[in-house]
Amino acid sequence: MNTKLKVSEISKIYPGCIANDKVSLEFGSGKIYALLGENGAGKSTLVKILSGVVKPDEGEVFLNDESIKLNSPLDAKKNNIGMVFQHFNLFETLSVFENLSIDSNKKDEELRALVNDILKKYNFKIDLDIPVLNLSAGQKQKVEIIRCLIRNPKVLIMDEPTSVLTEQETDDLFISLKQFSKDGILIIYITHKLKEVLSLCDEVAVMRKGKVVSVSNTIDEKIESLANKMVGENLNTIKKKINNFKKSEEILKISNLNFTSDDPYETNLNNLNLSLKKGECLGIAGISGNGQNELFQILSGEIITEGTSIMFRNKEIGKLNPKERREYLMAFSPEDRISQAAVPELKIYENVALNNFKSSNFFEKGLVNEKKIKEHSKKILSNFSVNTDNVELKSQFLSGGNLQKLIIGRELITSPELLVCFNPTWGLDVGAINYIHETLIQINEQGKSSILISTDNDELLKLSDRICVIYKGKLSKIMNADTVSAEKLGILMGGGSID
Amino acid sequence: MIKVEKRSDVSRSIYFLTPVLAIFLTLFGGGIIFFILGFNPIEALKFFFITPISDLYGLSELLVKATPLCLIAIGLSFCFKSNNWNIGAEGQLIFGGIVGGGVALLFYNHDGFYVLPIIILSGAIGGMLFAMIPAILKTYFNTNEILVSLMLVYVAKLLLDYLVVGPWSNPEGFNFPETRQFSESARMPILFVGLRIHAGIFITLITVFLSWLILYKTYLGFQIKVSGLSLKTAKYAGFKGKTMIIIVFMISGACAGLAGVGEITGPIGQLHRNISPDYGFTAIIVAFLGRLNPIGIIFASLIVALTYLGAETAQIFLQVPKYTGQVFQGMILFFLLGSDYLLFFKIKFLGLKKNEL
Repeated sequence: MNTKLKVSEISKIYPGCIANDKVSLEFGSGKIYALLGENGAGKSTLVKILSGVVKPDEGEVFLNDESIKLNSPLDAKKNNIGMVFQHFNLFETLSVFENLSIDSNKKDEELRALVNDILKKYNFKIDLDIPVLNLSAGQKQKVEIIRCLIRNPKVLIMDEPTSVLTEQETDDLFISLKQFSKDGILIIYITHKLKEVLSLCDEVAVMRKGKVVSVSNTIDEKIESLANKMVGENLNTIKKKINNFKKSEEILKISNLNFTSDDPYETNLNNLNLSLKKGECLGIAGISGNGQNELFQILSGEIITEGTSIMFRNKEIGKLNPKERREYLMAFSPEDRISQAAVPELKIYENVALNNFKSSNFFEKGLVNEKKIKEHSKKILSNFSVNTDNVELKSQFLSGGNLQKLIIGRELITSPELLVCFNPTWGLDVGAINYIHETLIQINEQGKSSILISTDNDELLKLSDRICVIYKGKLSKIMNADTVSAEKLGILMGGGSID
Repeated sequence: MIKVEKRSDVSRSIYFLTPVLAIFLTLFGGGIIFFILGFNPIEALKFFFITPISDLYGLSELLVKATPLCLIAIGLSFCFKSNNWNIGAEGQLIFGGIVGGGVALLFYNHDGFYVLPIIILSGAIGGMLFAMIPAILKTYFNTNEILVSLMLVYVAKLLLDYLVVGPWSNPEGFNFPETRQFSESARMPILFVGLRIHAGIFITLITVFLSWLILYKTYLGFQIKVSGLSLKTAKYAGFKGKTMIIIVFMISGACAGLAGVGEITGPIGQLHRNISPDYGFTAIIVAFLGRLNPIGIIFASLIVALTYLGAETAQIFLQVPKYTGQVFQGMILFFLLGSDYLLFFKIKFLGLKKNEL
């Protein structure tokens, strides 16, 4: 049985972003296809279109040369397209078998026989009658796969399947996927991990900014060549002047820091070591979900660690919460500006009061000093050219760029010694991006330090003095920015190594 | 195709007007129920909502009922505003009543101006301590405060039952399940001769004012507001989340305890099995009907108090069970939540697109 799947001229436009721009791809059974790209490259949108979750604005999907309509996930099931999402859709308290029988119309005995056949055929070892919550992540994923296999899928789509798996489970998964492929199932494998593409897949399509930029056989590719295609070579050559910080004083030192999370979707951090000098900008690159969130929270004090693991200006601050760290002149600009850095329902001056420490006198003897906060807010609005002077305005009426200016302004107006920012220009227009970049360069020139965690490599290469890459919760060697190329970053971000 | 979308901006005046709309819808719904039961709806609603407050005694009764409701709802607003779901105000009220009542019994043969303040204070402390149980379990053991606070209501009820039947029952009471009458100096002063309205109303009004001050003018209030809107932001700003949970529960419990002690030293004058007609639960409706706003809660408590009185009048004149009051309270909450849904979301009816046919 041969299966041919073709997407033709698919476009999907979200407000302010073209997620898929005339994407055309062809797949045939017997092969494993990789869909490779950075976050935001458009691969998830394409997959959601194929599984009926999202409807394309334009374009068609053909299965065996017949045009098919995928208006809902049900349509995808009817057309024998199976999908395993990155986050599992299982009822934790129900047994494995109950989970499988929920969306099956077969009789229980029939279904059990079928499932047992599948278990035997692919050598899966799962007890069907224990609750799903007792399974490991790898086993849960197998349950999801079995759920697809019950329906005799022609196409099986795996969305970043290894992000929650251990090395051993990953190896097992690859063996199974190769077996499925032999049995005639067309497999589309979505990932940003370069090594996996090379070890598993036959063909690879690379997406960047909504477009397919290359389709090739994996035999012809190397980690470097894929990294190049994924990251793109259109580098902005204007760089900050890189200084020599050998003599300047060390301001922050993190030594042997470990963080283990209870949440399987969070990333554990292993043996982090870094140091930062006065006036320096340290860039931390990486594909999102590799521990950036956790690292930011450890720096900001939202996650508290051992006291001795973080030294800031020769003081142990690991145990301090964000407010206490601000007293030591640290400032933080989180990634999520809409629901974390600021509250949209609050007025501008109330959002300004979030960055409050003793000398600001926003709250005297526990009472709100509204006058003081408003004066301070007015100063931020004018100093950081936010396009309003009304401090009573609710923050939800500010554009993303103006909101980010307000947040950066709020953090910087207190002249902190260190600013930690996480994707500060995410989703902003060019004007706002330039403004933020100039501001970040300026604070370094004033002898203040910064840590820039970002998924935008252009930004990192433009602003950093030194750069390292975070991958699966581990930091790479810290390199001088002038010795780093986009290609090198791409390899490290995809889990490769350079000498 | 029907699509539900979040509205981008909700006007503030409409936000405070929807509770009024909910009340009118409740009247309409109540009218229909009375009609189905075979009454003239206008007449029945008149018995329910007008007759009870058509004389001075009725008005005084309204305030007597509204006093505890308002007090508890004000306390609950601290919890609800910061996303802490204290459902156990009834238990905190009863426990406050038990502690305050215990102290009142200790002083049963004492006279003096100091007796009443001590009783009131101990009642507030009782409610506060009882509310700290779910708060501490939540902060240190990650338990669900809804379940714990709700279950503790039954603990408090059974404890009260045990006390009034057993150790605290009136030695001269012919085994009735009740304690001694409290001494005169342990009773709330009556404001007007012949009416039941008592000085507890001043405690409520002072509490309303203090709450307004705390919620809108202090750092604590600011922290409560931010935590209620976004816990992520509260964490990022470095607010001490655990301490705040305990503080809001303490405030809430103290208010419920005050309400309890106000009941036993006010209209009741002793401890018995039924010191509260579920004021603690009904106050949840009051808090939401009043939009968690101190002034709103004052109005809401008067309206909900009226359903208590209306139910009693309706029982006498229309021979319907007094539980009709709870039907009305339920309808208010139902219509309020319903109109809130339409306030925050809009429903779009989309025609079928061509490619779907």
